Amino acid sequence: MGDPIFQNIIELFHYLFFIFSATAIASYLVLAFISAIETIEYKRKNSYVNYKEIMSSTSAPSISIIAPAYNESLNIVENVRSLLSNHYVNYDVIIINDGSKDDSLEKLIEVYNLVQVDYLINEQIPTQPLRNGIYKSTNPAFEKLIIVDKVNGGKADALNMGLNISNSEYVACIDVDCLLLEDSLQKMIKPFLETTDRKVIAAGGVIRIANSCVVKGGKLHDVNFPKKLIEQGQILEYIRAFLLGRMAWSRLNGLLVISGAFGLFDKKIAIEVGGYDRNTVGEDMELVVRMRAYMEEQNKIYKVAYIPDPLCWTEAPDNYKIFISQRNRWTRGTIETLRKHRKIGFNPKYKVLGLISYPYWFFFERMAPVIEFVGILYFGILTVFNKIRWDYAFALIILAYLFTVFFSLIALITEELTYHQYKKKGTGIRLLQIAFLEPFVNHPFILYAAIRGNFDYYFNKKKKWGEMTRKGMTKA
Amino acid sequence: MNTYSFLIDYFNDSPTIIQAAWIIIGLFSIIIIGLIFYLKYLRGHLRKKERVTIAYEQEYESALITYLYAGNEEETISSEQQAIIDLLKNDAKEPFKRKILIAVLVKLKNEISGEVAESIQNLYYQTELVDYALSRLSHKKWFVIAKGIRELKQFQIKEAYDQVIIHLNHPRPEVRKEMQLYMVNLFDFEGLTFLDLLETPLSEWDQIQLLEIVQKLENQNISNIASWLNSSNDSVIIFALKLAKIYNQLEAKNEIIQLLHHRNKKVRLDAIDVLSYLNVLEAKEILKTDLQKRSQEEQIAVFKMMENLYESDDESFIMKYINHDLFEIKIMALKILKRINREKFCALKIESANDPYLRFVNFIENN
Repeated sequence: MGDPIFQNIIELFHYLFFIFSATAIASYLVLAFISAIETIEYKRKNSYVNYKEIMSSTSAPSISIIAPAYNESLNIVENVRSLLSNHYVNYDVIIINDGSKDDSLEKLIEVYNLVQVDYLINEQIPTQPLRNGIYKSTNPAFEKLIIVDKVNGGKADALNMGLNISNSEYVACIDVDCLLLEDSLQKMIKPFLETTDRKVIAAGGVIRIANSCVVKGGKLHDVNFPKKLIEQGQILEYIRAFLLGRMAWSRLNGLLVISGAFGLFDKKIAIEVGGYDRNTVGEDMELVVRMRAYMEEQNKIYKVAYIPDPLCWTEAPDNYKIFISQRNRWTRGTIETLRKHRKIGFNPKYKVLGLISYPYWFFFERMAPVIEFVGILYFGILTVFNKIRWDYAFALIILAYLFTVFFSLIALITEELTYHQYKKKGTGIRLLQIAFLEPFVNHPFILYAAIRGNFDYYFNKKKKWGEMTRKGMTKA
Repeated sequence: MNTYSFLIDYFNDSPTIIQAAWIIIGLFSIIIIGLIFYLKYLRGHLRKKERVTIAYEQEYESALITYLYAGNEEETISSEQQAIIDLLKNDAKEPFKRKILIAVLVKLKNEISGEVAESIQNLYYQTELVDYALSRLSHKKWFVIAKGIRELKQFQIKEAYDQVIIHLNHPRPEVRKEMQLYMVNLFDFEGLTFLDLLETPLSEWDQIQLLEIVQKLENQNISNIASWLNSSNDSVIIFALKLAKIYNQLEAKNEIIQLLHHRNKKVRLDAIDVLSYLNVLEAKEILKTDLQKRSQEEQIAVFKMMENLYESDDESFIMKYINHDLFEIKIMALKILKRINREKFCALKIESANDPYLRFVNFIENN
């Protein structure tokens, strides 16, 4: 340990850790600042927008909601009802029953009076074949509904089938268990229609956590703050990510990911790039990166828009087993996408995408857990060899913790100033409490899941999607 | 005292980076405490604001209903009405209360009609709310101007025309949109004359909003759209084409045919769609001659037109496309053939050697 070369290497590591931490903190602050400006601008622009006209207009462009479903029998009928109640004239709902082994299809046939129809599919993207075929309702009240029953091929394959079936200009790809607000399509289509100086290729919406919220007749009736710390932690995490992260990336036109739970795409471009990649578990991020790369290569001016309104509510994991499995998958999806598109990274040809978005995702999303893990290991080794200056370590740990709390508080204040969703008395103190506890109750598990994700990516290639057991949202 | 000295010495003896860390810890601690109090205050304030807003809304609603029914035939404005006007005028001085008052007035105005609606309009003048809205039109901030125009539109203040039209080519699309909606809402089709001078793009969003309003107008006599079809602003042409379709503007047929050769693909596509809708057979003949030179989207649009305007002598033309690579064109060509010459179409079933093609033919035969 006394070797000067070894000492120099150690010192170099110290500097690298320090530079990484300082850059990460600086980038979070810059993103938060840009987000604040963008959110204020968005609220101003939309404070007096009248959505009434677009809601009832037959001139509004057509949209297909594509929702893959696999063994969703528990909630499928309610979920479809919710999707059919959107306030938009020109839209249809395509449910892809992706080889479910349960009675999802039978339930849908019974409740929505479905009959098999003859349908010629324009197979622009290869997919698994149909199983029982395509169904439409005999009841005019459900004329917007199309059910496709196909052989199981995974989420990406099901979405590709939806892209093939859709006759609309735009496709909203969603998780079937998501609860969309009635005005969600009006708000999501707006950037596509109002932007005149560039082509909007996709728009992403905010995802909110619906655990403990009350749902009535397929609609969000009452927003509640859940009791479990794991759920509270995720609420805070989502607010931070969506209000203080993606908003800024949207402003910089560097958004790399649109949540698979709810995104609206220009169908023509999504098909031109080949649809969703069936060989990744991060198909949502991968498609956006591929569409962006395609536009850059074509030298077309484009934008990926972002809507901060809370339009889509979803059920989040309420136990650590499922939570870890979900985050493991997210990690593998990120690694797969960045690896597949590595030619973009640091490539000036791809402008913001290559020089800012990709490097940011590489260092602060893909590498961050690895660096943190190495840091913890190193700390452990130094502890064993009694090489820790505990007073220094103590100062740096407190600093990191206070920064996290500070950033969470800024996110909560932004939420209060903009959407103020958790209005009930007593929730404020719980929001504050979770801002202080979240680094202990969720972060260690996120780190563990990310490390497992890295391990599985390199050494357990067979691992695909984890399981998500649905409990169903609270019904009134 | 010893602890204090120890801490000072410790701090002074620490490396710069650790000193910086402790300073930042101190700063963060203070900021976090401040943020906690601010968050607490903010949540309380928002809840209170909501309560106060509801209370004022109820107060203003009740005052307005009293105002509407307190009139008498002897006086233009009764003393009771005057008292309400004075109260509202006074409250309107405060921006917070003014905002609530305007919202209540708008809500009431939308729910009623006839003389009562006129009374609300008068009240808007008497409370001098109109002056606040007019003063917004010359503000530096775009969102203040946009809100001002919107309010003037909601209360149908036609006198503000000159102050509103100057924002025709405002750099912010939100201001332009409010200006356009003001024009059409208050001056019907005459209001659309702003299109003659519009230099900035009219987005699809704006166009949809304008179309929805013009379709609800009582007077449906549309002015001549020919000049807009010749506009140098492509978005104006696209909007005019939409009007041509909605209002069956067959008299503008020649101008629309000219647009088949416009440099902008979107204009060409929309022109094909409108000509198809208006059943202009000449357009079909023009398009048949140069179909190969056109983009894929245009070719699809032409076949959609032919589905609508096919004639028996189109058969030889259609036959060239029944094996086209593009799914949409192949399907439409087969559909048209089935209608023009069923025998020839049925013969395809026998001739079809490959399964996928037979699937196409069978599908079209059954649907």
